[in-house]
Amino acid sequence: MNWEEYRKAMDALPFSASFQERTEELVRQQAQSEKECMMMKKKGFVRAVSIAAAVALLTVSAYAASRWLSPAQVAELHEDPVLAQAFESEDAIKVNQTAQTGDLAVTLAGLVSGENLSRWTSEADQARTYAVMILESLDGTPLDREDFPLTEYTVTPLVAGFTPWSVNSWTLNAGVSLLERDGVLYYLLDVQSIEMFADHRVYLAFYQGSAPNRDTFTMAEDGTIQFAEDFEGPCALFTLPLNASKADPAAVEQFIAGSGLDREQFTTVGPDDGTTYTTHETEDENGKHIEIVPQEPSASELAR
Amino acid sequence: MVSTGTEETVCRLVREYSDMLLHLACTRLSCVSDAEDAVQEVFLRLLTAPVSFRDAGHEKAWLIRATLHRASDIRRQAEKRNVPLEEAAWREAPEPESSLLRAVQALPEKYSTVIHLYYYEGYSIKEIGKLLGLPAATVGTRLARSRERLRSMLKEEIV
Repeated sequence: MNWEEYRKAMDALPFSASFQERTEELVRQQAQSEKECMMMKKKGFVRAVSIAAAVALLTVSAYAASRWLSPAQVAELHEDPVLAQAFESEDAIKVNQTAQTGDLAVTLAGLVSGENLSRWTSEADQARTYAVMILESLDGTPLDREDFPLTEYTVTPLVAGFTPWSVNSWTLNAGVSLLERDGVLYYLLDVQSIEMFADHRVYLAFYQGSAPNRDTFTMAEDGTIQFAEDFEGPCALFTLPLNASKADPAAVEQFIAGSGLDREQFTTVGPDDGTTYTTHETEDENGKHIEIVPQEPSASELAR
Repeated sequence: MVSTGTEETVCRLVREYSDMLLHLACTRLSCVSDAEDAVQEVFLRLLTAPVSFRDAGHEKAWLIRATLHRASDIRRQAEKRNVPLEEAAWREAPEPESSLLRAVQALPEKYSTVIHLYYYEGYSIKEIGKLLGLPAATVGTRLARSRERLRSMLKEEIV
């Protein structure tokens, strides 16, 4: 077979010369029409909130059921029908717990774990956990994705007994996608399976900030994790209802051994040595990489 | 994070990915105007169902998958059409001169995609795996099987 012939035939296909120009024009027209439509929706939304306040007998779950996308619908919108099916399967865990933080409501909708559940990640053949978290404003004001950039807000699993800076989205090779629908934000977390930790208390945390550190979390002597008392900003911490029989201590050992961190860093909080951390962002063909490294002390700090 | 959903961002994606997506759509559609419709609809969908991608790789993968889905839908709809005029229009789409291109278009979808990404776009097996969310071994197998099928369809040896 002559692949050069294939390439030439492909190059010779008679696409319209004005395709890009026409499509860009269509995008602009559609965007304008969407903006006009959104303004109409916002006007209607204020009325809807007033009516909802008057009908206070509505239960939260009934309200939620009519208002939110299900985890399966979120996966569908990410063009991931396999994951959508997984969220509808018996193995999926429906949580639907809501926490209020400031003027926001954070809801953990559900999660599912397993192999080959998504078409997106090249690591789908390894055990992964997928979770959907929902963010909306308590007063009904539509939220905008631009106000909640993924670089400034974090969704991460944490595990009691393991320091938050050793087991989190960064060390568990997670990815998060954000989708907005009708003023509600939907986070889809894709992370190395957290079922291996199921014999511990496993949390899912949402907060404003980057990688977990001492300013964000504290770990008590019994291993339980909480937000630091003086932590400011939106935050919520959910305990995941995992099946303890799915714990895999051998996989946890493998994870620790392969992490490149000292074993002690996983379980011992240790005294605060005042180290501050900085992030280095690099980008290559595989995407953006964020590296968190101890910050070098300044000359004046060294002199002290 | 790669943000989408704004007209500026979608227009950037149109400029960046149109060529690639149009050619890719033509592995499933023999009519270029249908391919143009499929790709155009994918870009417009970004406005109505905005998704934030975690990185540029995820963005490209989303566009590729969405284009393939839409092209398949259009192809299936065309195959089900009963209206004589529309059928006639479909049949009147000019046949590609290249027998190899015609053969690739006749392959099952899962095979034509990997063949195109490998031989036309020049992606490695590992890169195709990432784009399609498949293990590299599966991509390798599909590539080998699609070559076998093409060989049998064209009744000639791979050079």
